[in-house]
Amino acid sequence: MLLSFAQWIQATALFTALRGSADVYPVVMALHMVGISLFGGMILMTDMRLLGWAMRKRSISDVVDQFRVPKRWGLLLTVTCGVLMAGSKAEEYYYNSFFRTKLILLAAVIVFELVFYRSVYAHPAALDRTPGIPGTAKTAAVLSLLLWIAIACCGRGIGYIEPPLDKIHAEIHAAKAAALAALHTPSTPEGRVR
Amino acid sequence: MLLIQNSAIADALNSSEWVFPIAECFHIAAFAWSIGLIALVDYRLFGFGVQHSKPSEVARATAPWTLLGLAVVLLSGPVLFLSDVRMYLHNPSFRFKMYALAIAILFNYTIHRKVALSDSSSAGVRVTVGAVSLLLWISVVFGGLFIAFD
Repeated sequence: MLLSFAQWIQATALFTALRGSADVYPVVMALHMVGISLFGGMILMTDMRLLGWAMRKRSISDVVDQFRVPKRWGLLLTVTCGVLMAGSKAEEYYYNSFFRTKLILLAAVIVFELVFYRSVYAHPAALDRTPGIPGTAKTAAVLSLLLWIAIACCGRGIGYIEPPLDKIHAEIHAAKAAALAALHTPSTPEGRVR
Repeated sequence: MLLIQNSAIADALNSSEWVFPIAECFHIAAFAWSIGLIALVDYRLFGFGVQHSKPSEVARATAPWTLLGLAVVLLSGPVLFLSDVRMYLHNPSFRFKMYALAIAILFNYTIHRKVALSDSSSAGVRVTVGAVSLLLWISVVFGGLFIAFD
C-alpha cells in the first residue's frame, strides 16, 4: 500500500519534472539546508535557554516569543523543500531505512508538540515567574534537542544509502545504473554524497 | 612533501567509514547554529520577528554562541577537506564557497557588527546590511551543497 503510494506520488507531473531536472533539484536541496540554518539554529538556542545554558540574561519568554515567527518561516521552507525532495524519489526512499527512521522521528515531533506545546512553549511568561526552570521545560528542551539532532543525522544518512536497483522500476534502474557507473570513484566525497 | 602528508592524513580520515559522516553532522549542526543566530540579528535589522529587543541586544546576546558555532564549523570543515584535498581544490563550488565564507566572516565582524551594535543607524542602512549578511551566508550554504553536484 505504502509502496504503491510512493510509486504513484513520484509519477505525478510535478515530481517527475523535479526528479529529471539537474538544475532545480540541487537548488531545492540547498534551500532545504538554508531552511535548516534558519530553523535549526533557533531551535537549538530556544532549548539551550530553557535548560539555562545560554542567553541567561534574557528572560525565557523573551527568547521563546521572539524566536517564534522566524522559526516558523524557517520550518516552512525546510518542510516544503523536504517534501519536494522526498516526493520526487519516493519509491527509492521507501526502501531507505534512514528515511523511514526520519519519518518516525518527525511523527514523534508531532507527539512532542501535543505534549509540550501548551505547558512550555505557548505560555513562556509563566516560566519566568517560577524560581527555577521547571522540570517540564528542561525535559522538553532535552527531548527537542535529541529529536532534532537525530532527524538531521538521519536526513544526512539518507544520501549514503544506495537505491536498491533490483527493486526499482526498470527505466529508473537503467538511468541510475548509468549515473552510478559515472560516479563510481570509491572514497571520494562525490561518491558518498549524492 | 605536502602531498605525502596530505595523503597520509586522507588515509587516516578515510580508514573509518564513520569519520566523514560524523564530521559532516557536526559541520551541519554547527553551521545551522551559527548562521541561524546571525540570521536572527539580520531579522532584527529588517524588523522581522525579533521586535522587543534592540539590535544591539540581539547582537550581544547571540555573539558568543555564534562564535562557538563558527569555531566548530571551522574545525569540522578542514576534516572534510583533508579527506580529499585534490578534489576540493579543483571543485569550483568549493572555491566559490571559500571566497563567500571569507567575505561573510569579514562582513560579519566589521560592518554587520558595527551597524547591529549602534542602535542609531538609519532604517535604510539596517535593511541593506541585514540583507547583504543573509545573502552572503545563504551563498555559503549553496556553495557547500553544490560541491557534491560539480
